[in-house]
Amino acid sequence: MGAAIEIIDLVKTYKTRNNKVNVVDHINLEVNEGEIFGFLGPNGAGKTTTIKILLGIIYQNSGIARVLGKEVGDMQIHREIAYLPEKPYYYEHMTGIEILQFYASLFGNIPKEKCQQLLERVNLANDSTKTISQYSKGMQQRIGLASSLLNDPRLLFLDEPTAGLDPIAHIEIRDLILGFRDEGKTVFISSHELSDVERICDRVAIINKGKIEMQGRLEDLLRGGRYEITASGVPEELGRKVEGKDWIVSFAQDRLIVDMPDSDSPNELMQSIIAAKGSILSVIPRRKRLEDLFVETVRNKEVSK
Amino acid sequence: MRAIFNIARTTFGEAVRRKIILIILILGLAFIIITPGLGILSPRSERAAVTSLTLGLIQMTSALLAITLTIYLVPNEIDRRTIYTILCKPVRRYQFIWGKYLGAVATIGLMLLMMTLVLLAVFAFQFNDRGFNAAEAAELAKAPLMFFFQMSLLAAVAMFFSVWTSPIVNFFLTSGTYIAGTVFNGVFETLKESRSTSPILRALSEAVQAILPNFGRFQVQNAAVNPGQVIQSEAVYFGTAIGYALLYIVVMISLASVLFENREV
Repeated sequence: MGAAIEIIDLVKTYKTRNNKVNVVDHINLEVNEGEIFGFLGPNGAGKTTTIKILLGIIYQNSGIARVLGKEVGDMQIHREIAYLPEKPYYYEHMTGIEILQFYASLFGNIPKEKCQQLLERVNLANDSTKTISQYSKGMQQRIGLASSLLNDPRLLFLDEPTAGLDPIAHIEIRDLILGFRDEGKTVFISSHELSDVERICDRVAIINKGKIEMQGRLEDLLRGGRYEITASGVPEELGRKVEGKDWIVSFAQDRLIVDMPDSDSPNELMQSIIAAKGSILSVIPRRKRLEDLFVETVRNKEVSK
Repeated sequence: MRAIFNIARTTFGEAVRRKIILIILILGLAFIIITPGLGILSPRSERAAVTSLTLGLIQMTSALLAITLTIYLVPNEIDRRTIYTILCKPVRRYQFIWGKYLGAVATIGLMLLMMTLVLLAVFAFQFNDRGFNAAEAAELAKAPLMFFFQMSLLAAVAMFFSVWTSPIVNFFLTSGTYIAGTVFNGVFETLKESRSTSPILRALSEAVQAILPNFGRFQVQNAAVNPGQVIQSEAVYFGTAIGYALLYIVVMISLASVLFENREV
């Protein structure tokens, strides 16, 4: 499969009052066709700026950005991509079906039946004649996704697609995105909802202060889990002594909680607790989560600075 | 063309529902309705006074509508991120600008039409016994027709400013241009023609006059207010004024499109 997105040494600079800031700082990225790619980063990291460059809404200062094999700015790309911005506003006086018809009209060659089919797909067929002002946030997000599918895009850019949604709406949107993979579409998601990204993305990149800190397949990045050991009746003398590299230890009264990497054996600690007449309450093996990786990556950057 | 038309249609649908626009329109209509009652205060003939006042009201209301409506068209789309959902489709930026502009013009046209119909109804009611007939109604309606082109030009000026200034700055810039283009063109004309004007001042007057839109070209109230004042050739007068407006609009919107093409939204 070819590259759906190719970014080479991309730089975007904004001038502030006193100096210039690289909001996107020499980033390199490749997203393969057919994969769901998570683009993560704290607020102001450069995620949306990168997406806007890829959409041709803003322009890079240097570097190359290609979408579906073409340089950004080529209008042909716009026939094959879709973008759902974060918390978009839709013309409130229009009904669901009218919104879809409006966006369809911008392509010029989309049959009217397609709008109805998409409303059914996003479960809004019964609400198609309600105005957008009567739609809940989840419904608005679903109509946004439906409008993104009008041109049957090869590549979708989704900016925070599940932000601010209730759990049910959250699951609905997530399932819709998963459905895109089955259709062979490439999805580029920028999100703070790390649990969603972990569930649906094949690969991720973490951007922080304009630089890509880490990228790769999720299964590779999340290799290496942790154990969480909880014990009670631990004497203070032992509780205060427990330590290890990359261990997180909390001890209060006689209760000990140790969070350790799974590369360390928990046996020695457990034996020490039993020998000191303590009781092991639980040993929970925990696989590494994207949240851990994200926090680790962003914090390490802060510490190294 | 289809994209421009559809953006214009959506802009129109959104604009006619904006509360501030409706409030300005309702106030304008209310004043048009109550103005005939004020005519008796004028020492001039009642009909001329009422005509002058109501046409002035229509012009003022439609100018306020045109400015208030247009200055927010582009900034609102950016603030609400709707622009991204449009520009990521195969829509060129100039199509977006033209679509927004034509939507605004359609809204202004509808509002002017409503005010004109109310004006004609008020006149028919007020002056029915004094021979207000279809011919006079048609004569009276010429002024709002010219206001339409005047306001379309004003909206183009506001659109031009809206792609590179904030709505507040735009409000003052457009209002200032309207006032200058209505009031000061006469001053520049006098300066240009006066023999005592220095060559530098004359050149400056000519330059400013060339750049500044001449909103005074669309005034036909004088003929309506003073029936004795006759325009030599109506076809030429209206034709040149409308041609001037259209040319200026094309230049303004094309400039706005060029500026917007390079703007990062």
